Amino acid sequence: MQKKVLTEQSLFYGDIDMPKGFEIDQEKLTNDILQSSFTNKQFPFSRTWDMLNTYMRDFIGLDYGISLVNKDSWGDIYKPGQISKPLLNVDPVNLRNSPDFTMLYGVKVDKCWVRIHFDDNRRKGRSWDIELKKNMFVMFPSTNMYIVSNDQKDSLNFVQTITYEYI
Amino acid sequence: MAHFAKLGANGKVIQVLTLDNDNMLNADGVEDEAVGQQYLEQHNNWPAQMWIQTSYNTSGGQHRNGGTPFRGNYAGIGYTWDEDDQIFWPKKPYASWVKHIESASWKSPIGDAPALTEEQTSQNEADTHSWHYVWNEANTTWDLTDSRA
Repeated sequence: MQKKVLTEQSLFYGDIDMPKGFEIDQEKLTNDILQSSFTNKQFPFSRTWDMLNTYMRDFIGLDYGISLVNKDSWGDIYKPGQISKPLLNVDPVNLRNSPDFTMLYGVKVDKCWVRIHFDDNRRKGRSWDIELKKNMFVMFPSTNMYIVSNDQKDSLNFVQTITYEYI
Repeated sequence: MAHFAKLGANGKVIQVLTLDNDNMLNADGVEDEAVGQQYLEQHNNWPAQMWIQTSYNTSGGQHRNGGTPFRGNYAGIGYTWDEDDQIFWPKKPYASWVKHIESASWKSPIGDAPALTEEQTSQNEADTHSWHYVWNEANTTWDLTDSRA
């Protein structure tokens, strides 16, 4: 008896383990998220953002042999107690120009939960929850809908999103 | 053009970049690995000591053009940097295999596969058989196999 896997839904998560002295500057990303949110402008390129992006691309390539190409990037701010609407980063009528993966990075977060929805063949509407902690990432197929919630009452949560295609 | 391997934890190569030779010249105009490392740290946000120069023309401890081999093998993603032996090692093919410093390669604990006999070679050439040795990790032996059988 043999088995062939036709497709899989892989979720990657972990810490961004940068070398000492080269850690991701969360303050810089927080400021850039604030700035781009209030000015409604494209998320700015920065050395810090590039370090995060390069780390993801390098290590997904090394550990899983997946070559990632950037599609888009933006930051989100979640108010205390806020639960996002269901988010989906593919355009169902323009799949050709949609990303393959969505990566969420915890910039400044506390009790930030991500619920990723998936279908397991006929078992529809399943979900997987993960707490997105500071300096942690979670990456999943962009065809999966997800919800981000800020489960505390005191502070804003800042989450960086980068979407990728794989080649 | 110079090549540098970017190292992750445990000396694992995570990327290999090319660097213009002009970007690794020291004050005397001589190519210097340390200058290249500093350049890469500044422009690629990764510590200087975690960039190690590698030779595009070196493989298996030999230089392709007859020059001096440099650090065993041209580094590739997933290779491991061995600071003590100054060699980039490819992934170990079998758990029992051991490092062979001279050829910068992994060797079986009982050495290379035996040579094929004249009869086996002639059968391979006649295309009636395809004799070759395959490593048997469970028995740590070289097993003669005919892939046409």
